[in-house]
Amino acid sequence: MNDESGHTDYRNRDYPVREDMAHQVKVWRFERWGWYTLVLLVVLALLGLFSRGPLSTRDVQGSDGKVRVQYEMFHRNGSTNPMQLSVIGTPDAMVELELSGAMLEGFSIESLQPEPIRAVSAGQGMKLWVQTDAQGRANLYLTLRGDGLGLFHSRIASPGATAVDFDQFIFP
Amino acid sequence: MDSVLRAAAMYLALMVLFKIAGRRSLAELTTFDFVLLMIIGEATQQALLGDDFSMTNSMLVIVTLIAIDVGLSLLKQRSQWVSQLIDGGPTIIVENGKLLHKRLRHARLIEADVMEAARSSQGIETLDQIKFAILERNGKISVIAV
Repeated sequence: MNDESGHTDYRNRDYPVREDMAHQVKVWRFERWGWYTLVLLVVLALLGLFSRGPLSTRDVQGSDGKVRVQYEMFHRNGSTNPMQLSVIGTPDAMVELELSGAMLEGFSIESLQPEPIRAVSAGQGMKLWVQTDAQGRANLYLTLRGDGLGLFHSRIASPGATAVDFDQFIFP
Repeated sequence: MDSVLRAAAMYLALMVLFKIAGRRSLAELTTFDFVLLMIIGEATQQALLGDDFSMTNSMLVIVTLIAIDVGLSLLKQRSQWVSQLIDGGPTIIVENGKLLHKRLRHARLIEADVMEAARSSQGIETLDQIKFAILERNGKISVIAV
């Protein structure tokens, strides 16, 4: 639309209808840029900006590697996503995991497998005790449903291990 | 509160999206457009109602949508600017038997679209017989014969 001023096509006509070509050109420009925006949104969605994709799936560990959290960074309100917590402790013993921060405010836990041996509330979050296997590993699989909106900062800790901090964002 | 906000946000989002799509997109419904419209409706419905299927919620959503719609039409009546912003204006695409190519290109139309409208509304056979073809605000093409 660079030559729009000169070309007769861009001049206003008064008959049989009154035109406002300046406005019409703006509308066309809006449609064109709008289309670029839509394509960009589709690409970002494919990359996982709106949950489930390379941009969203995270795998973090504490500095000593004992606590590991696999989660989705981006969630959508009302949708469910998996989260996996792994901890290394003493073989064939109970290990404590503490979920704290805003996680339980933004999410509701739809399922928790395997069921922890004990669970108590602790401040804003909760403490869970799980059984480790012969190698000292224990995994906890959660299904989280995003109930809140916005950014939620959470922390997973286990005694004797470096805690893992992470952020999750819930879209409307 | 959230039902009203949901409905208002959805109204605004759909309005912007259909503005981007342009006025032609749903004016002439092909079979595929019809299916597309149904899918859009289905996707919208989920977001509007969430997981609350109560009568109160659905009434709140409907009341909000109609209130915004009526409010906008009142606003359009009072302000020429708002009216033009929301509905746009008509654009001439054929003048004295000549296609205005640049306008057609921006409106994503081809000669066949104009001739189709000319045949169906006026029984016109060639471009020379068209005095004016106008792309109306609702996306339809009206044809005035020589």
